[in-house]
Amino acid sequence: MSISTGSPRSVVRRLACLSVAVLLSGLAGCAGGATAGYREPPPKQVRSGGSLVIGSEQEPGCADWIGSCSGSVFGTYVMQVQTMPAVFQYRPVNGGWRPVATDLMAAEPSTTVVGGKQRIVYRFNPKAVWSDGVPIGSADLKYTALQVRDGEDILDKTGCSLIESVSTPDAKTAVVTLKRPYVDWKALFSGFGNVLPEHLLAGQDRDKAMRDGYSWSGGPWKIAAWKRGSSVTLVPNDRYWGKRPKLDKVTFEFTANTSSQFLAFRSGQLDAIYPSPQLEAINEVEEGMPNARLALEARTTNVEALWLNNAAFPFDSLAVRKAFGHAVDRKALVTRLYGKLGVRTPVQTFWPGNNAEFGGDSFAGYRRDLPEVDRLMRADGWARNDRGIWAKHGREARFTLVSLSGDTRRLLEQQIIQSQVRQAGFEMTIDNKTPSELFSNTAPKGAFQAGLWTLIATNPTDTFQSDRIPSKANGEAGLNFMRVRDARVDERLGKVDSTLDPARRKEYSKQADAALADGAVSLPLDDVPSILLTNRKIGGPVSINPVEGPFWNLNEWGLIEG
Amino acid sequence: MLKFAAKRFAYSLIVVFIASFILFWAVRATFDPLAKVRLSHDPGAIARETKRLGLDQSIVQQYFTWLGRFLTGDWGVSSATNEPVFSVIGRALGTTAQLLLWGLLLAVLVAAAVGVYSAIRQYSIGDVALTGLSYLGLAMPPFWFGLVLIAVVSLAPQQLFGWQEPPFLFVGLHSPDSSGIGLDYFRHLVLPVLTFTAQLIGNWSRYLRSSMLGTLRSDYVRTARAKGVPRRQVILRHAVRNSLGPFITVVALDAGLLFGGLVVTEQVFAVDGMGRLFFSSIQAGDAFVLVPWMVVVALAVILFNLLADFSYAWLDPRVRLR
Repeated sequence: MSISTGSPRSVVRRLACLSVAVLLSGLAGCAGGATAGYREPPPKQVRSGGSLVIGSEQEPGCADWIGSCSGSVFGTYVMQVQTMPAVFQYRPVNGGWRPVATDLMAAEPSTTVVGGKQRIVYRFNPKAVWSDGVPIGSADLKYTALQVRDGEDILDKTGCSLIESVSTPDAKTAVVTLKRPYVDWKALFSGFGNVLPEHLLAGQDRDKAMRDGYSWSGGPWKIAAWKRGSSVTLVPNDRYWGKRPKLDKVTFEFTANTSSQFLAFRSGQLDAIYPSPQLEAINEVEEGMPNARLALEARTTNVEALWLNNAAFPFDSLAVRKAFGHAVDRKALVTRLYGKLGVRTPVQTFWPGNNAEFGGDSFAGYRRDLPEVDRLMRADGWARNDRGIWAKHGREARFTLVSLSGDTRRLLEQQIIQSQVRQAGFEMTIDNKTPSELFSNTAPKGAFQAGLWTLIATNPTDTFQSDRIPSKANGEAGLNFMRVRDARVDERLGKVDSTLDPARRKEYSKQADAALADGAVSLPLDDVPSILLTNRKIGGPVSINPVEGPFWNLNEWGLIEG
Repeated sequence: MLKFAAKRFAYSLIVVFIASFILFWAVRATFDPLAKVRLSHDPGAIARETKRLGLDQSIVQQYFTWLGRFLTGDWGVSSATNEPVFSVIGRALGTTAQLLLWGLLLAVLVAAAVGVYSAIRQYSIGDVALTGLSYLGLAMPPFWFGLVLIAVVSLAPQQLFGWQEPPFLFVGLHSPDSSGIGLDYFRHLVLPVLTFTAQLIGNWSRYLRSSMLGTLRSDYVRTARAKGVPRRQVILRHAVRNSLGPFITVVALDAGLLFGGLVVTEQVFAVDGMGRLFFSSIQAGDAFVLVPWMVVVALAVILFNLLADFSYAWLDPRVRLR
C-alpha cells in the first residue's frame, strides 16, 4: 500500500473532507461516474510479464472435465479452456463465433457418411505436446473417447455415446466411427472433455487424478495452485506450441457476492470481473465505473424464456399459450432489464444470439395485443369472471411462475410479467426455488406451470423433442421439461438433428422454429448479455467468447506498456 | 465436579444422537441425493447410484449405515465436488474458527468493558452514548453493515488519500501470494470480524450491563460497601464476578451457533468458511455435505453448552452441588 505524505494540517483537512464525503455520499460513498473510454476496447499493445487477479463468481466443483462434478461453467472459463487441448474452438468468423479447428490439428478434421455411419478423421499437429514434452496424439483421443463413452459418473455422454469404434492407424491419426450421423460432431473433443493425456491417466482413477487440479497441461496455461474455496493460480505452460501467455501469472479469486465483487474491483483488489447480469451488476455497469473498461456481448448461446408446461393447466391449451404470448410485452421487459446496455429487442427464436442464423424470427408475431388475447380466449370458450380473470368450466386461468430464489433480476422480471398478464386476465403467483430444487426436481418432474430460467448452450432438439421428456426410457435425463408432444415439431427437429449439410440444416431448423412458434410451446425472452469489466492497466484483445467465456484468449492479455 | 461433568456429557450424547437422526431424516426428506445424477445424460446412472448409496433401504437403515461411517471418519463424498466431506468440512471449520477466535475475543473484551462501564456509570453521558451505539449495532443487518464498512472504512480513505490499495482488504483471508498470520492476514480480517461482532457487542454489552446492575443493587454488595470495602474491589471481586455467569452462558451459546451462523459475513467477504459452505451446498443440493455440516454445527452448539455449564459451575459453586 502506498500512502501519500502531507503535513498534519493537510491530513486533518483530508480527514474533514473524508467525513464530509462520507456524509454526502452516504452508502454510495465509493460510486463514481462514467469515464471517457469506458466502452472502448483496451489498447492492443502489451508488455511481457506482470500478473493479474481476476474475480470468479463461482468455484468449479472439480477439474475432472468429463466427470459429473464439473458442471460449473466458470470451471470451463478459468481452468479448462486454459489448460486443455481442444480439436475445435469457437473463433470470430464473418461476424459470428464459429467452431474452427485449432492448431492441435495438422488440418481440419474430415468427415464422411458411409452406410449411415459417420467417419471422422483427426490428424494431430506434430508440434503439439503436453507440458511434460510427450506428443499429443491419437492415443490421447482414443483414451478420452472411451472414457466418456464407457465411463461411469460422466457429466454428458451426448455424441460420445454414438461412438462405435476409434482406430489409431498411427500415433498422429485417429479415426472415429459414429453409429449414425451426428450434426454436432465438431463439439466432440472440443469444449466438453477436450483431449486427455493417455500416458498420464491410463490405468488410474481419472477423477481422483484430476479432481483437485493437475500439474500437466496441453494449453497455454498450467494450474500452479488451486486453494479450494479461495483461488486458482495459473502460470504459463512453457511447452505450449501456440501463442505463449504474455503475463507471468493470473489468479482467479472466488468472490460469490456480486456487490462486494464490484467493490473489490473498484478498490483494485480485482483487475477484472465477469459478473452475472444481476440487477445490481447492471445498475453498476450502467452508471459507469472509474478506471474501467467494459466489454459487452449480447450474442450468446443462452436463451432465457418463459417455459410453459404444455401438459399442465392452463397451458395445456394451445389457445391459452398463444394468448399468453400476446399478453406479455417482451419488448418492454427486455428494455427495462437491459435497455441501458443497448439490448432492447427480445429474441424471436429458440436459436438465439450466436446461433441466430438457424432460427430467424418465428416468434415475432407474439406482441402484446390485448384484443387478440380476448379473441383467442373467447374462441376457446373462456370468459372473464367478476374479478376480470379468464375462467372456463369454473376454473380460473391462474398459474404460478417458478424461477430461482435470490435472483433480483428475475424477481423483477416476474413482477413485471405478473402485472402485464393481470391486465390481460391471467392471475399469476411467484414461487422461487434453489437451482438444485428447480432443475433436479421441480422441472424434470413437470411440477410447474410456467418457469423463468436460462438454458445455456443447448438447442431446441434437447428441449422440445418428445423423446426428451424425462422418463425411464431416457434415464430421467431428458430436457423437455415442458412436456411438448407435437408430431410436427418432432419430425422437423429430427431432420435438424440428422442433417450434416449446413445449408439444409438451416432450412430445417427454420421450419422447426416456425413449428415451435405455431405451437407456442414456450416464449423466448432474451439472450442474456454477458458483461466483462477490466481495469485500465489491462491490454490486449479483450472480448467475450459466447461459448468459451471471457478469458478464452487470456494468453494474449497483458499489462499496458509504459 | 466430575460427577456433574459426567452427567452433563451423558445427556449431551443422547441429544447428539437424537439430533443427528432428525437432521439426517430432514435432509433426506427435503434434498434429493440423486439431484446431480438426474441432470446427467447417462440413462443407467440413477439405478446405479441408488444401489451404490443404499437409497433403496429404509431411512433407519440408511441412518445407521451413515452413523457408523460418520463415527469412523468416513463422511462420504460431496456430490458437488467429489471431495471427501471430512476434508471439505474440516477446511471450512478451520476458516470459520479463525474468524470466531478473533471475533469472540474482540466482542467479549469490548462488550465486557462497555457493559461494566455502563452499569457503574448508569445514566451518564457515556452510558447513554454507549447504549445508543449498542442499539445501533444490534440493528445492523450484517449483509448491509459489511458493505457499508467496505465503502466507508476501506474504499473512501483509499479514494480520498489516493492510496493504491484500500487499508483493509475484503476478498478472502489472504492476498493471492500471501499465507500465514501477518499484516496481510489482519488487513483481511478486520472487516469481516467487525461485521459480525457489531451485533454481538451490542447484545452482550446490554446483557452484562443489566446483569451488573442487578448485582450492584444486591444486599451483599451494599453490605460490602457499608463495611468499607473499596469500590474498585467491590466491583471487580463481587459485582463483576457474580455477573459473569449469565454473561459467559450467553457468550457460549452464541459462539456455538456462530459456527454455522456466519453465512452472510462469509459470503460478502468471500471467506471459505462453514457459512459459505452451507450456502453453496444448499444451492447445489449437496445432501452429502449438508447432513455432516448440520451434525458438526449441532456438536459445536452442544459442546459450547457444555462449556457454559462447566464455566457456570466453576464460577458459582452452588451449581455443581445441585
